[in-house]
Amino acid sequence: MAVLALVLAYAGFLALALAMDRHAAEMGQARRVPPGRRQVLRIAGSIVLALSLWASIAAWGAPFGILGWLGALTAGAIVLVLVLAVRPHLALPLAIPLLVCGGLAAALFG
Amino acid sequence: MAWLHTWCGLLAGWILFSVFLTGTASYYRQEISAWMRPELHRGVAQAEAAERAVSYLQQVGPAARTWLIELPDARNRAIRVGWSNRDGPGGFSLATLDAEAGTPAAVRKTSGGDLFYYFHFDLLVLPFRLGRWLVSLCAMAMLVAIISGVITHRRIFVDFFTFRPRKGGQRAWLDGHNAVAVLALPYHLMITYTGLVTFALMLLPWGVDLAYRGDRSAFQSELFGFVQPGPATGETATLAPIVPMLEQATRHWGGGLPGRITVTNPNNASARVMVARGETDRVAITRQTVLFEGDSGHLLSARDKEGPAEQTWGVMYGLHLARFASPALRVLFFLSGLAGTTMVATGLVLWVVKRRVRAPGWGVRIAGVLNVATIAGLPCAMLALLWANRLLPVDLPQRDVWEFRSYFGVWSFGLLCAVLCPSRLAWRFLFGLAALLSAGLPVLNALTTNVHLGVTLRQGDWALAGVDLTVAALAPAFALLAWRAGRSPAAQRLRRLSVADAA
Repeated sequence: MAVLALVLAYAGFLALALAMDRHAAEMGQARRVPPGRRQVLRIAGSIVLALSLWASIAAWGAPFGILGWLGALTAGAIVLVLVLAVRPHLALPLAIPLLVCGGLAAALFG
Repeated sequence: MAWLHTWCGLLAGWILFSVFLTGTASYYRQEISAWMRPELHRGVAQAEAAERAVSYLQQVGPAARTWLIELPDARNRAIRVGWSNRDGPGGFSLATLDAEAGTPAAVRKTSGGDLFYYFHFDLLVLPFRLGRWLVSLCAMAMLVAIISGVITHRRIFVDFFTFRPRKGGQRAWLDGHNAVAVLALPYHLMITYTGLVTFALMLLPWGVDLAYRGDRSAFQSELFGFVQPGPATGETATLAPIVPMLEQATRHWGGGLPGRITVTNPNNASARVMVARGETDRVAITRQTVLFEGDSGHLLSARDKEGPAEQTWGVMYGLHLARFASPALRVLFFLSGLAGTTMVATGLVLWVVKRRVRAPGWGVRIAGVLNVATIAGLPCAMLALLWANRLLPVDLPQRDVWEFRSYFGVWSFGLLCAVLCPSRLAWRFLFGLAALLSAGLPVLNALTTNVHLGVTLRQGDWALAGVDLTVAALAPAFALLAWRAGRSPAAQRLRRLSVADAA
């Protein structure tokens, strides 16, 4: 669950970054994000970040889970920022294996 | 407000960097301490440990007034015992027991991870009160810098994910500084604020003085209460078995683990056994104790409730120390600590980079020298402590003092390099040295002990293996820093141009 929380934090922030013109362009998307798509990405990103909170609480229990979530948000965002700085085109495709790993880890180890 | 942010950050920066880095290492204080005492065996279950401690104390101090037993836990493998023949604190003989044999462990004299821990709030070289005040003042400057930094950072959301190292120079440093500052902002605020709260009673003693009419010891004893042994009666009595008492205490705390046992007047009819709860399974560090009658093992009383002030303080203190953190959570705390360290370091470098071109002078030169000596010198010093722990002969008199000297010696050497060499050379040399020291540590460990990675990985001893692996993982990071810091400005400009051409 801890791994899942981390991966969901990355995915949530990825969606939020895709809603921003500059980062969307870096990741090889259209230069201007259409307003409708921007809204959808923002809402989706927020929901995924909330799911990360749920996974953290499932992993560590309520009081520790909130601390763990803040830590996971930090770690997930820093990884995203580093990927965007070095290999921006990989940021989006990287999310898929990461989510699979997080899901597997949650399913196998709880 | 930008000037406030800049100057608070700069003047406190070198101390804050040292506090952040050694404090981050202190998340693994117990693991580092265990690594630095390779003679210690792995811990045993608490019940067995308590029995061994009691039987050892029965041999060395059957007529003592007080016994103290610090039980091992998941991260701490030693059993620490103390016994005193007189009342009150002081007068204690202390021993570290080997968990397997229950006899004093033949352990090399070392400060262990405690050196980093104490350094991060005492600075160790100064009289301890001065050190604490200095660290507290810097923490206050830090809080001001964080808040004014958020206010002056106008593009906090627009630049949330922005880091453009290829742009080079000031832009890249500012991006990096902003990114690690904003992304770990909850952590920065938490650690700075709770750190200050830890010293609240030193910084703001007047409330307590007013309530206790200036008698600080009365306040201390109410808060941290030390059981005063009652008068011993003439009757001797056998001490009831300790394990059922521990089990009862654990039941009382709904599964909470005991941490420390205090026995007063052992082997006397008036014996009392006080079991205090450990700190590894809850956030708040507050005193929860259960008192037993020594000869019968009956529960007499329990102290559970704490006032709101104590509870608040306990939560803050607990958050700062993170003793509750499970391995995964601890990794996140450690990474956040590294982010904080990076934030301070990038801020310091940014100050110099900004002024080196615009207004070069003595101030910039001095700041540059201190930057190299602190940011690149301190990691070398910390690694030197671990090297000294393995290289100094085990029977060297004052061995722990020599470890201490290696730490400060190498740090002074770093300062000397920074003063004598041109800046780029000093960065490259010290980061290169740090890369060599960290890459070589697991090798040195394998050559000098029998608890190297080949053994610890096979046994699944992750506490010891983790120290070797983490330090080794730092080596490529230091090497990268050495390589980047050493590139000539001309080469950097050329590279930037080619990047601009390609884009």
